Amino acid sequence: MSSNRPITPSTLSVKDLPWQIIWDKDKCTLCGKCTAVCPVNAIELGVFRKRSIETSMGLESTPSNDFKIYYGIRQKTDPAYSCVGCAMCNLVCPNDAIIPAKSDEADKLRYHINQGGQPRRRGGRRGTPDSLLDMIKFIRISMLTDPALDAGRHEFELTTLLGRILSPEENLSFLNENGWIPPVREIYPLMIGGMSFGALSPNMWEGLQLGVSYLNEELSMPVRICTGEGGCPPRLLRSRFLKYVILQIASGYFGWDEIIHDIPDMKEDPCAIEIKYGQGAKPGDGGLLMWYKVNKLIAAIRGVPTGVNLPSPPTHQTQYSIEESVAKMIQSMSMAWGFRVPVYPKISATSTALAVLNNLTRNPYAAGLAIDGEDGGTGAAYNVSMNHMGHPIAGNIRDAYLNLVKTGMQNEIPLIAGGGIGKNGNLAANAAALIMLGASCVQIGKYIMQAAAGCLGSETDRCNICNIGLCPKGITSQDPRLYRRLDVDKVAQRVVDVFLSFDTELKKIVAPLGRSTSLPIGMSDALGINDYNAANRLGIKYVV
Amino acid sequence: MNDNRYYIISGKIYGKRLDSRILEEQIQKAVADGHRYLEIKAFGQHGIGGRLWKAGDDKVHIKIIGHPGQRVGSLGFPNTFIEIMGPASDDVGWLNAGARIVVHGNASNGIANGMAQGKIYIAGNIGSRGMTMTKHNPRFDPPELWVLGSAGDYFGEFMAGGIAVICGFEAQSPDNILGFRPFVGMVSGKAFFRGSHKGFSQPDAKIVPITDEDWDWLTKNLKIFLKNIGRPELFKTLSDKNEWQLLTARTPQERTGRQLRSMESFHEKIWNKELGRGGIFGDLTDLDRSPIPLITTDKLRRFVPLWENRKYAAPCEASCPTGIPVRDRWRLIREGRIDEAVDMALAYTPFPASVCGYLCPNLCMQSCTRQSADMVPIDVKKLGKASINASLPELPPLSGNKIAVIGGGTAGISVAWQLRQHGHEVTVYDMSKTLGGKISSVIPDSRIPEEVITKELERIQKIIPHIHLQQRLELKEIEQLREDFDLLVIAIGAQKPRVIPIPGKELMITALDFLIQAKTDKAKPGKRMVIIGAGNVGCDVASEAYRLGAEHITLIDVQEPASFGEERKNAEAIGAKFRWPCFTKEITKKGVKLMTGEVIPADTVIISIGDAPDLEFLPENVATKHGFIVVNDYYQTTDPKIFAIGDAVKPGLLTDAIGSGRKAGKAIINILKGKKPLDDTREMIHRERITLEYFDPRITGFDDIEQCSSQCSSCGTCRDCGICIAVCPQTAISRKEIKNNDFEMIVDETRCIGCGFCAEACPCGIWNIIENKPVE
Repeated sequence: MSSNRPITPSTLSVKDLPWQIIWDKDKCTLCGKCTAVCPVNAIELGVFRKRSIETSMGLESTPSNDFKIYYGIRQKTDPAYSCVGCAMCNLVCPNDAIIPAKSDEADKLRYHINQGGQPRRRGGRRGTPDSLLDMIKFIRISMLTDPALDAGRHEFELTTLLGRILSPEENLSFLNENGWIPPVREIYPLMIGGMSFGALSPNMWEGLQLGVSYLNEELSMPVRICTGEGGCPPRLLRSRFLKYVILQIASGYFGWDEIIHDIPDMKEDPCAIEIKYGQGAKPGDGGLLMWYKVNKLIAAIRGVPTGVNLPSPPTHQTQYSIEESVAKMIQSMSMAWGFRVPVYPKISATSTALAVLNNLTRNPYAAGLAIDGEDGGTGAAYNVSMNHMGHPIAGNIRDAYLNLVKTGMQNEIPLIAGGGIGKNGNLAANAAALIMLGASCVQIGKYIMQAAAGCLGSETDRCNICNIGLCPKGITSQDPRLYRRLDVDKVAQRVVDVFLSFDTELKKIVAPLGRSTSLPIGMSDALGINDYNAANRLGIKYVV
Repeated sequence: MNDNRYYIISGKIYGKRLDSRILEEQIQKAVADGHRYLEIKAFGQHGIGGRLWKAGDDKVHIKIIGHPGQRVGSLGFPNTFIEIMGPASDDVGWLNAGARIVVHGNASNGIANGMAQGKIYIAGNIGSRGMTMTKHNPRFDPPELWVLGSAGDYFGEFMAGGIAVICGFEAQSPDNILGFRPFVGMVSGKAFFRGSHKGFSQPDAKIVPITDEDWDWLTKNLKIFLKNIGRPELFKTLSDKNEWQLLTARTPQERTGRQLRSMESFHEKIWNKELGRGGIFGDLTDLDRSPIPLITTDKLRRFVPLWENRKYAAPCEASCPTGIPVRDRWRLIREGRIDEAVDMALAYTPFPASVCGYLCPNLCMQSCTRQSADMVPIDVKKLGKASINASLPELPPLSGNKIAVIGGGTAGISVAWQLRQHGHEVTVYDMSKTLGGKISSVIPDSRIPEEVITKELERIQKIIPHIHLQQRLELKEIEQLREDFDLLVIAIGAQKPRVIPIPGKELMITALDFLIQAKTDKAKPGKRMVIIGAGNVGCDVASEAYRLGAEHITLIDVQEPASFGEERKNAEAIGAKFRWPCFTKEITKKGVKLMTGEVIPADTVIISIGDAPDLEFLPENVATKHGFIVVNDYYQTTDPKIFAIGDAVKPGLLTDAIGSGRKAGKAIINILKGKKPLDDTREMIHRERITLEYFDPRITGFDDIEQCSSQCSSCGTCRDCGICIAVCPQTAISRKEIKNNDFEMIVDETRCIGCGFCAEACPCGIWNIIENKPVE
């Protein structure tokens, strides 16, 4: 900044920003790639005037000034262009001359990001590296007490059930009395959670779907993926791959008329219907697909005009109580496919989750309950919702499970846990911990974005610009110039890699427990934690 | 067993089964005692026949009858031959280190588990997990396991060496002689087998062709095996090469994971086949979604540079009310075309020397981009002064349009100047003998050498006809002129001094009157003067009064004086006092009496609070407001045939008057051509676009116009310096000559990556980097 300009309260220095660009003049070849790739235009070519004063030894000649120009890479300090730390500059630099470094102290930008009175909004996650799930250990190692199993050699049957699971007697009497039994799906316990087409780019979305279909058809792993709220491409709806898909309906109801139109042409029923009431990452905050992301493709799939904002309100507009919402929505959705498809609600983890669960236990059509914890991710939300709203998943899923145990229904209504699973990379361990706390199945979102597409987001606020359509990896952008950076096949391949390696790791965890033919749902005697209060709260062993 | 070579040890004495430990002790003792042929009557004892090293190199023959327990021959030595005359239990030959073991019957699970040397011959079938964890130590021959029948499940798990031969003869499971999931984790060794199997661990093992060498080995050893189990007659049945297969471990290099269908193949053959070409979105879009690199060119660039030469007005030009494109004049000088640079001014102003060079506060310099970096502005006064020698191009022939200009002051001359240069016939009506208005009648000589004004007025008079009116125009005459001419421009200035209605106001002299008289040295200010109104005109009065003998001059104002520039400096230099706020109550012979009661003594009191136009002659349809004529953006009054400019519209600087004349002239010219009146809608360039680092910040002043021109960053107009061409990392920018001796910078779209270097490096702010058009 020019030294002679007046400063404003929000005039920041590079030091005040969360990320500092470290640029090496000696290494830089001025190729322009870093400035061309920077998603937020945080860097630019700098023209620098370098002065040297020529003074002779002994002052024998008159001292003189000499100016020279040199060029380099300069970081902008305008809050609108502050570096997000994505390091794409580093990725493209042929000489390793540039890299963003996290500021060594809390940035000042946070106090100025609300220019014009607009609080910060972003994508990403809560920004807290702590993970209670990471602290949970599997302490029951059955070497000689139970038949010891070998994860590498044993045959495992690690599927789970989605749907209202009745005992054979109950099923029979149900069938006799009602002429109907609840649909149940046998699925893989790791599910790709709802990320809408719109929030995700077409290449990312198709890559995930492709990978899931591959897992099913080439590897016989019954992995399921939820569409998120943004409709589903008609071709997918009319294909046999639909059976691997959980269709989501949420408060915006986007794409549902298109889905309805395709029902007569469906070869397969979808795996299930997820009714989204809340999201762990931003409880109480709705979704908003910004107008600039609503291009032709999204508009066609969502059944809306192009270039308009698409808000999903925080609440469903015509539902005013648990009884009403749950009963009405589950009925409607079940009816759409002749009561052949499991329908379950998804809620943010909350201190009121048990009220929802208790209601579901009384509703014979409820196929399960998905609970999404505070560590979930999102493509766009208010910072405050993301950082401060929500409930941790572990305690919530545990309470829900123990509540089912109390009523003797722990095997009847599956609980699906989500939010922060694998947030530090420990996918299988976190999933297994939640399963042993009582979840029948876990959902992942962020993890798959990182592992399958190279998402740069972190718990320390790196990148996190999913909301502005400029995802440097093309994961959440609708601009072909960005999303074509993602190769559909390679995303799909990574999905396959993730599930295969997860499968091995999950076996490595459950084999020493002596489990191979059923998922250790609620097997909490296998869990320990070295935090006394957490152990008490979760009803697991305190181990030191 | 009548062979009396054998020393018999029974595992049961007096009807009581010997403990495995006791039997082991007896066998070891027998061997130590020199027995080399032992017959063991087994009753489930563990580990019979192993560990017989005490015999040294002597062969030890162990014949087992009855029911041996688990691990017959475990930790067996090469000197040991064990023959079990019936079936055997688990783990036969466990950790076998060399013993040859024959089982004349079936054997159960774990046969040869961990075996490293030796041979195991089974005359029947074996249970699960045979040949698991076997090793081959290169110091010894590989271990062998021969099975006449079939293997049970999980055969060959983690097999790390050795040779297994499964003959499949009278197999327990003839349709699957290798059992369920064989060879998982196999890393070395091989297995010959004869008969059908139901799959094996593909990632670990593979079927290979049987070479002649393999076959020779197999047939040679098959004979030995059959002889050992007492079934030599089977050789013929079992030696059909076509019935045999050979399986070996994959090498680490061959273990590329599971042999799975490639994703590309799945995508193409399964996915697209079910969904149609283009996958799930194929019916909704035909956009290419194939992968692209991070750095792209052409249509795939995120940003595109634009060469916006002359798109924006330079700050100097934009802030000059006259609108002179100063930086173009500097360019001409840089190009060595000084005459053209000088002459160019005349296209904009009839007073380039008088106004730009002397009388103007030079708003262009005040807004010079260089000021934003604390650098001295380019000195336009030098260029202005040089313009005294400017010469006009030849005038175009008259168009036939006739315009009357009322008032021959600065504004009137300016509009007439423009119109005549564009071929329109103008006639200027003025009360004065000569054209010039205030510029010639009231500006003190201290501000400008008289000859400068004279010379410029001569230049003007040459081309502008002037009618010297003897009396004020009346409404009727105006209406007549309106009929006689195509258009009328009113440029009468503000000649009516404003006064304040206070007692003694008749004692005040107006600034205008004073200055006119001073110009001809007729004014007599006395020793003490008070000037009410401390603006620039007041300052001029002060300077002139001092010149004419005044010693104590006070300028008073009701607020902080608005005077600035040369006028203010001159007034201060002669010692004039500025006082404010002062509210005048009365003028007396003694001087100016303020509301406070204070009297500032004065011989002369000048009122200098501005002038207003005298608009009595105006037709009714020409609207006025607060005593001035109302005009639109291009100086047209509410009567479309009548324009008004200069101080009659709004009091201002000389350059404002010239500018209003020029802009009105331009509008008139356009209207007469049938074009839109306003054709220059350029905005001022954002100063941030200019890069001043190229200029020496230590320059404190300029020696000559050449130096000025070199230090001008030419905001918004290309300096043709070539920096962009040099800076572009992609060599995408090139210079192209176009017609009219002009040039342009062009971008090779196929090379440009949109890095924006050109935009940042450009000293003039020409290059702009914008988002590429959306891909649709």
